[in-house]
Amino acid sequence: MAKLIKGVFLGVLNVVFIWTALFLLGHQAYWVLLLLVLGAALVNFIFISEKGYPYRYLLPASFFMILLVVYPIVYTVYVSVTNYGTGNILSKEQAVTQLQERRILDAEAGNYTYTAYRDGAGELWFLFTSPQGELLLGHAGRLEPVQEGDERFSQLAQFTELTRADLVRATNELSALSFAFDETWQLQMRNINYFGVYRPQYEYIRERDELIDLESGTVYRPVLGYFEAPDGTRLTPGFREVIGLNNFRRLFTNPQVTGPFVRVFIWTVQWALLSVGCTFAVGLFLAILLNDPYLRLRKFYRSVLILPYAVPAFISALIWRGLFHTELGIINQVLRATIGSGVPWLQDPVWAKVALVILNLWLGFPYMMLVCLGALQSIDHEMYEAAVVDGASSWQQFYHITLPLLMVSVAPLLIASFSFNFNNFSVIYLLTRGRPPMVGAQTPAGHTDILISYTYRLAFESGRGVDYGLASAVTLVIFLITGAITFINFRFTGTLEEVRKNV
Amino acid sequence: MKRIAVFSLVFALALALSLPVAASVPGELLIWIDGERAPVLTAVARTFVAEYGIPVKIQELPFGDIRDNLAIVAPTGEGPDIIIGAHDWLGQLVSDGLIEPIDIENPSLFLQSGLDAFTWGGQYYGIPYAIESIGLFYNKDLVGEDGIASFEELVELTKNELAPKGIYGLVLPQPDPYHTFPFFSMLGGYVFGVDEEGVLNPLDVGLANAGAIEGFEFFEQLLNEGVIARATPYDTMMSLFQNGQAATMMTGPWAFGDVRAAGVNYGFTQIPSYKGQYGKPFLGAQGFMVSAFSENKLLANIFLNEFVATKETMLAIFEGDPRPTAFLPAAEVINEDPDMRGVMEAAAEAVPMPAIPAMNSVWTAWSDAIELVINQQSTPRAAIQNAVEIIVQTIQESM
Amino acid sequence: MYRRHSLFGSLWRHAVLLLFVVFALFPILWVISASFNPANTLVGQRLIPGNPSLANYREVFTSEQYPIALWIKNSIVIGLITSTLVVIMTSFAAYAFSRFRFRGRRTGLFASLLIQVFPQMLAAVSIYLLVLSIGRIFPALGINTHAGLIMVYLGGAMGVNAWLMKGYFDTIPNSLEESAMIDGASPFQAFYLIILPLARPILAVVFLLQFIGTYSELILASVLISSTEKYTLAVGLQLFIHDQYASRWGVFAAASVLGALPIVILFLFLQKHLVAGLTSGAVKG
Repeated sequence: MAKLIKGVFLGVLNVVFIWTALFLLGHQAYWVLLLLVLGAALVNFIFISEKGYPYRYLLPASFFMILLVVYPIVYTVYVSVTNYGTGNILSKEQAVTQLQERRILDAEAGNYTYTAYRDGAGELWFLFTSPQGELLLGHAGRLEPVQEGDERFSQLAQFTELTRADLVRATNELSALSFAFDETWQLQMRNINYFGVYRPQYEYIRERDELIDLESGTVYRPVLGYFEAPDGTRLTPGFREVIGLNNFRRLFTNPQVTGPFVRVFIWTVQWALLSVGCTFAVGLFLAILLNDPYLRLRKFYRSVLILPYAVPAFISALIWRGLFHTELGIINQVLRATIGSGVPWLQDPVWAKVALVILNLWLGFPYMMLVCLGALQSIDHEMYEAAVVDGASSWQQFYHITLPLLMVSVAPLLIASFSFNFNNFSVIYLLTRGRPPMVGAQTPAGHTDILISYTYRLAFESGRGVDYGLASAVTLVIFLITGAITFINFRFTGTLEEVRKNV
Repeated sequence: MKRIAVFSLVFALALALSLPVAASVPGELLIWIDGERAPVLTAVARTFVAEYGIPVKIQELPFGDIRDNLAIVAPTGEGPDIIIGAHDWLGQLVSDGLIEPIDIENPSLFLQSGLDAFTWGGQYYGIPYAIESIGLFYNKDLVGEDGIASFEELVELTKNELAPKGIYGLVLPQPDPYHTFPFFSMLGGYVFGVDEEGVLNPLDVGLANAGAIEGFEFFEQLLNEGVIARATPYDTMMSLFQNGQAATMMTGPWAFGDVRAAGVNYGFTQIPSYKGQYGKPFLGAQGFMVSAFSENKLLANIFLNEFVATKETMLAIFEGDPRPTAFLPAAEVINEDPDMRGVMEAAAEAVPMPAIPAMNSVWTAWSDAIELVINQQSTPRAAIQNAVEIIVQTIQESM
Repeated sequence: MYRRHSLFGSLWRHAVLLLFVVFALFPILWVISASFNPANTLVGQRLIPGNPSLANYREVFTSEQYPIALWIKNSIVIGLITSTLVVIMTSFAAYAFSRFRFRGRRTGLFASLLIQVFPQMLAAVSIYLLVLSIGRIFPALGINTHAGLIMVYLGGAMGVNAWLMKGYFDTIPNSLEESAMIDGASPFQAFYLIILPLARPILAVVFLLQFIGTYSELILASVLISSTEKYTLAVGLQLFIHDQYASRWGVFAAASVLGALPIVILFLFLQKHLVAGLTSGAVKG
């Protein structure tokens, strides 16, 4: 029975593999295919061999993790060494194709009307009428003048003439055709009604990787994602290209980018510390109060105090935006009624930061309270009894027993919370969007921007259009920082794990 | 173990071979369009299918996402044939190699300013369906039937009548360069200068010339005198106007619905003059464009010329989201609406919003300068001069 | 550490706690009050509305331009499916991490923590392209499908979840399974007949955390879902507040109340597991 289930499960997986493989084969994506085959082999090995037993449990989660998290990370690394972004969207191949397809219309030659026919074999024949009224017979890329009454002309009568609806349905076929007038000029479809006389604008010499303007003879060579003439003129569109570590260099040396970087970095650290510090202090304080067996209404307080945690953050941030509203918000209405003037919550650099910290305190203290409650409950009561015997005050008990024991279990969560807030884009984005702007900044940056929202602006609002290359580089730098914090955290908890096992 | 392996492989092969192979359908049009216009195009697509038997797929996207998504998707070959968009995307889309010139069969059917907006390098890149510009909404119960003709008048009125009742003279979205531009332009400011051939010069930024600074300082003065409500984002602005706490509001035709819904007795006219000069707003146009990666370019042209550029379609687009039309045969009907006539009057004073890619570099720095003045952290002169410095530097760097 | 309180001692404790109750509750009460306020704007709202009405709620259910009720439904469905799948997949992975010793165990544990801190926001482009190509092979998982979005969320199934669960499994003594296996159960049977029932609290917590996370996720949903009727609440509300926030404050408030309700209910339901579950991973390693 179990073997049957296993067999069917593996079978279904293999269906998906084969199905995907056929598709990839059809699209000539051989590298992806290779990866797929390796992956499929690994999966089958894990399920068939006893050695793979533990890995079977890891398979589902790891599969999605590798596909949807690890792959994007690899992609980000790749993009960070390219110039991908506005102006350099296409691959070089695509840019060359577009430039090669550029054609120049001979406006003086005018429009050629046409009638199209299909012969018995399904091939297309055309009868063109030039603006001067000459008749031309077109077939298989060749043109020849005809007169009414010619043998070739009357031959057309035996073919099927295409109706307008037929023409519309065949536009893709028709627009691919081209009839040579001479060496340079071609008769090509202009729109559904007319053909026009065209010549190509550029020629691409693949061996030398050069693009030649056929009229002026100017030679364009690829320079940093563009075809460039000797005088520096660039052709658009540009193309994607690997540019090495240029993005990282720009990040650390270009004053336009580095200018506010330091200030943003400092606030990011402050923000993460303040968020963790405030929520932890309040959470711990409340937990100690609520852990007190002599306190009445403990259940009530606990249930009410965790409510902010139960409201989705994207909703509460928006609610708080209404409360902080400078003109209409209740906080300022109350302030005006009591102390006479409101506070420019979201306009003033300092107050905007205060507002953010208040919001994050509201969002985060219930979590800290719960965590601390759990940790407090796990502390052995006998320790306190011994301390009381030794005559320790409440404060001494807290400082010498509660806090150290609590920290052992809570510290990893605090570090995790720090790295979470380090990258807490949504709270910043929903409340202030990084505003207000810094005075005299050389690149768009706001007083409440943290690294991740600054990156977002750099990528999407820097005024150079979208700059994925630079944004990916910053992303990696941020990842490095938070990754390092996580590593420390891991070592810390890992040590704990080993210690506990030895006990 | 071997039995499992054999079983699963046989099972897999049998199943896989019985499934049909996915294939892409050639000769099918895919259109990316925003929600407001999607129903209209779905109906138009149906007539196209009935006429030629060529399937048309409509995919709905938020208007603002279309440009970025096109840049990501089109090069993969999965993109649309036709998109809807704003004229100021043109420069970037063309230089990114994402859109294709369009052959407009009968240009004389379109409003010239709409066509001009979609012209790039002497070629049409879009079929315009609407033009728009901001103007002045006024509350007739507060300022009278005829509205306000000049800012001097507005200041007088606010000081003598409105302010004592706690009513603001004017509200506009802040910080928002698009809505604030008339203050810059009324005494001679501009975004980009024009060379002898009429081509925009991205290095000649005129947002900090004498006229622009004077206009910007006037804007600050209005804020300080309490004529303009300070730091109102779009939603707050709307709220104040709807509740009669602001006598006039500077914004565009998209606000008609909300204003009407609130039951305000309103009028719409052009932006008031200052020192006898009218503040010119930006002219914007919206239209249909053809992707450079379309496999059906001529088909897309046929669809647009024969099925979209018609009176019925253009009127249906108007019904779905009333904006002044750029299609003349429909204009006769649409301009009977007094609101639309008001917008057309306002648009007559408007200057086209520059569509060159350099425009990208202008918005954020400009917006920050306006915000600094609103927040009273900088003088207009210092803020805008710094902004222009950044703008020019950014443009130079990307050239 | 704790002693019976004097009158003063009990007074200040309650005073401080009440202060925090006000802090915690005020925004919530304020938005509930706004949701019943027919005036519908941020201007001049009071804590007790003059003549309460259900008009705002009616609009939430009837608005065609902003089908908020539909968005809430979408969010709930996506949240439930994602959380269920995540709990299943994570419990498998956590069991392996807890019970087996194999090559790459430490690396796997570390990797699952590390990927959690990768700023996915800017990876949205690559995820978009990936889902786009998956959609070419399996159209049901493509762009603008809920299934595709759920698939993307499954990518984050490992991470803190696996870590929390592994911590909890570690606290369940091995002897239980060993005796079951002596009775002839396979390791897999031991896992789902013995471990899973015992681990119910942590399963509940992971379910809850994942549900909240999915329900609130904004960036990936807004990149991958493009048509209004498929929006999740988080994405839809952005659209709504962008042009209607202060002027339709009442409708926003009603939507917030309704939108928060599923999570609040789930919370109250699973509350008793929460304290134990949240700390176990850290406390018991």
